[in-house]
Amino acid sequence: MFIADIRKDFYEVVANQRVVLLVAPDIDALCACKILQALFHCDQIQYTLVPVTGWQDLGTAFLEHKEQFRYFVLINCGANVDLLEMLQPDDDSIFFICDTHRPVDVVNVYNDTQIKLLIKQDDDLSVPSYDDIFRDEDEEGEDSGNESDEGSEPSGKRRRFDEGAVERRIERQRAKREWEARRREILFDYEQYEYHGTSAAMMFFELAWVLTKDTKDMLWWAIIGLTDQWVHDKITNMKYVTDIATMQRHVSRHNHRNEDEENSLSIDCMRISFEYDLRLTLYQHWSLYESIYNSCYTSCSFKLWTLNGQKKLQEFLADMGLPLKQVRQKFNSMDMSIKENLRDVIEESSNKYGMKDIRIQTFGVHFGFKNRFLASDMVHATAALLESAEKDDSETDNFIKALDALSRSNIDRLHSGIALAKKKLIAIQQTVASCICTNLILSQGPFLYCYLMEGTPDVKLFSKPMALTLLCKYLLKAFVHSTRNKRCKLLPLVMAAPKDVEKGTVIVVGIPPESETSDKKNFFGRAFEKAAESTSSRTLHDHFDTSIIELKTEDRSKFLDALITLLS
Amino acid sequence: MFCEKAIELIRELHRMSDGQLPAFNEDGLRQVLQEMEALYEQNQSDVNEAKSEGRAKLIPSIKLRHCCLLRNQRCVTAYLYDRLLRIRALRWEYGSVLPANVRFHMCAEELQWFSQYKKSLASFMRSLGGNEGLDITQDMKPPKSLYIEVRCLKDHGEFEIDDGTVILLKKNSQHFLPRWKCEQLIRQGVLEHVVS
Repeated sequence: MFIADIRKDFYEVVANQRVVLLVAPDIDALCACKILQALFHCDQIQYTLVPVTGWQDLGTAFLEHKEQFRYFVLINCGANVDLLEMLQPDDDSIFFICDTHRPVDVVNVYNDTQIKLLIKQDDDLSVPSYDDIFRDEDEEGEDSGNESDEGSEPSGKRRRFDEGAVERRIERQRAKREWEARRREILFDYEQYEYHGTSAAMMFFELAWVLTKDTKDMLWWAIIGLTDQWVHDKITNMKYVTDIATMQRHVSRHNHRNEDEENSLSIDCMRISFEYDLRLTLYQHWSLYESIYNSCYTSCSFKLWTLNGQKKLQEFLADMGLPLKQVRQKFNSMDMSIKENLRDVIEESSNKYGMKDIRIQTFGVHFGFKNRFLASDMVHATAALLESAEKDDSETDNFIKALDALSRSNIDRLHSGIALAKKKLIAIQQTVASCICTNLILSQGPFLYCYLMEGTPDVKLFSKPMALTLLCKYLLKAFVHSTRNKRCKLLPLVMAAPKDVEKGTVIVVGIPPESETSDKKNFFGRAFEKAAESTSSRTLHDHFDTSIIELKTEDRSKFLDALITLLS
Repeated sequence: MFCEKAIELIRELHRMSDGQLPAFNEDGLRQVLQEMEALYEQNQSDVNEAKSEGRAKLIPSIKLRHCCLLRNQRCVTAYLYDRLLRIRALRWEYGSVLPANVRFHMCAEELQWFSQYKKSLASFMRSLGGNEGLDITQDMKPPKSLYIEVRCLKDHGEFEIDDGTVILLKKNSQHFLPRWKCEQLIRQGVLEHVVS
C-alpha cells in the first residue's frame, strides 16, 4: 500500500527499532541512502546497511537478516516484482520500499499489511483498480448449495430446476472467463513498459524537510540523485525540468537564511547555486577541447567521428575566437578573460551550428577556494567509482568507495572518481566512433543490434550495466545523426557485450528509440523474458532493471532470432 | 665502576619511553643487590676498623661506598616504582584481563600488586553512582555521540549487543551501533569507524 504521511507511517514507526537498509547499486540509491543515514544518525536509529547488486543478492541478504530484524527498507529495488512471493517472509516482517522502477507490481500496491510503498501516489502510476484484478472466489459455493437444497424435490421439477441451475452456472463461467481475459489484458498493458518515477533521493529529502532536519548536504545529495536520473536518461525532459523547479525552491530557501552584507558566510561553508550551465561533461575539471570532444551532445551534433566533423569543430572554436592553445589546456588555467563570458559565447555560437540546447538547468556547489562541482560532475565521478573494473575490488568494495566519495570530507576519492570518469568517457567516445565507422550497428528489422567483440579496447568497462547503457544511448544518438535511412532513426537499440570470459556470458541491454519527446518507456524487459522462455536460452534476469540481462554466449543467436520474431 | 648495573636498569626503562613494559630484569636486579651487599660488607669492616684503630684515612672510602649504596638504592626503587606506574596504566588501557605477553613480563610480586590494584579500583567504581556503580575506565574523553557508524572490514560472523540482538558482520556492510560495544572490535581491526 502507498504511505500517505511519510513521517507518521514510516519514520515514527522505525524510530525505536533496528532497521536493515538494502540498497541497489545506482547513484540515486546511494544518495537516498546517505540522506537516510544522516537522518538516522540524528535520531540514533540503529541500522545495518547492506549493498545488494541483484535479486539473488537481495534474497540472500534477506535470509541472513530476517531472524534478527523486523523492518527492512529497500532503496531502488523491489517495487516491480511480487516481493512477498519472492522472499517468503514471516508475517511480522515489514518492508518499506522506495523505488523509482515502474510499474509497481499490483500485489505490492494492494497488500495492506507487509508492504509499504514510499512513493507519491500522483506520480504517474495508473495502477489498475482493485476489482479489475482481484476477485473473491465464493461464487462456486452458491451453486452447489442450491443443488443440494433442490435434491429433495420430485424428479420433473428437479430437472427443470437443474436446467436453470446449469444455465446459471454456464453463464457464471462465461463471465468468469471474460473477466479473466480482460484481467490478463489489463495486466499486460500495465506491465508492458518499464519506466522510472521520482528520484528516491528526492523522496527522502522531502522526509527530511517534513521533519525540519534537512541540511545543505542532504539537499545536495537530493540534487545529485535527480541529476543521475537525467544523465542516465531515465526520466523525461519535462519531469526533469519540473523536479529542478522543486529543488530550486529548496535551494533558495537554504540560501536565503544565511548571507547578508555584514555576516557573510566563511568561504569554507557549502554553497549551492542554481546554474544554467553548459552541457559539456566535466568541462571544469578537464580542458574545454577534450570536454567538447567527448560529450555526447556536441560529439553527435558535430559528428566528430568524421574528418568533416573535426573540421567543423575547429571552425566552431575559431568562430568563438578561442585560441587552440587556450582551449587545450586545463580549464582552470585558461585566461580569465576567456572564462568570463564563456557560457554566453558558446551558446551564441552553438545556435549557429544547430545545437539549440547547449545549456541545461542544473546546480553547482562550492566549498573552499578550490572545490567547485556541478551535479553532473558528481554523478559521472561516482558512477565511474561504482563500476570501476579493477580486478581485486568486489562490487561491494566499489559500492563503499562510491558512497564515501559523496561525503565532502573525501575530496580525494571524488577526484580519483573524476579521473576514472574521464577515462570512461574517452573510451565511450572511441567505441562509438569505431562502431559507426565500421558499421557495426545492424538493423534486424524491428530493432537495431550491435555486438562488441571480445578484443575491443576497453571492453571490460562495458561489462557493467550502467556503463553499457550509457554507451548504448550515445551510440543510438550518434547513429541517428549519421544515418540517412529515415526508418532506422525510429528504431530501438539492443546491445550485447562480453561480461565474463571464463563463464562465457554476455550482458544484453535494450533501450527505447531516440526522439526529442520520448517518454522513455522501455518494453525490452518483457520481450527478453518471453524470448528467453521460447528458446529456453540460459539467461539470468538478475538485474533490478528488467531490460538488462545476462546470457550465455552460445545462446546469443537463437535468442536474437526469437526476439526478432517476437517484435516484428 | 660502581653503580653501573643500576644505571643499566634505568636505561632499559628509558629506552621504552612510550609506556611499554619490558621484561622484569631479575638478573640485573640481583646483580645490583649483590653489589650493594658487597659494598655494605666492605663498609662494615672498614667502619669497625676505623672505630677500633682510629684510622681516619678510611673515612673517605667509607663515605664513597655509602654514597654508592644510596645511589643504588635510589636507582632500584626508581626502577620498581616506574614499572608499577606502567602496570597501573595497563589496567586503564587493556581492562582487567591483561594479554598473555604482557603478563609474561611481570614478576610474581608485580602480578600480585596488579590484582590488588584491580580490586581497589573495582570497589571504588562500585561505590560511585548510587547502588549501581560506574565504570570510569570507559570514555576517557567525553564522547561526541552515543552511537557510531562502523564499517566491517572482514567477515566476522555474528555479534551480540547488549539487548540481545545479533548483528551479522559481513564484509563491507555498515552498521550504526553503540560506541562501547564497537571499541573492542575496532581495536582488533574487524570494524572501522566511518567519519563522514
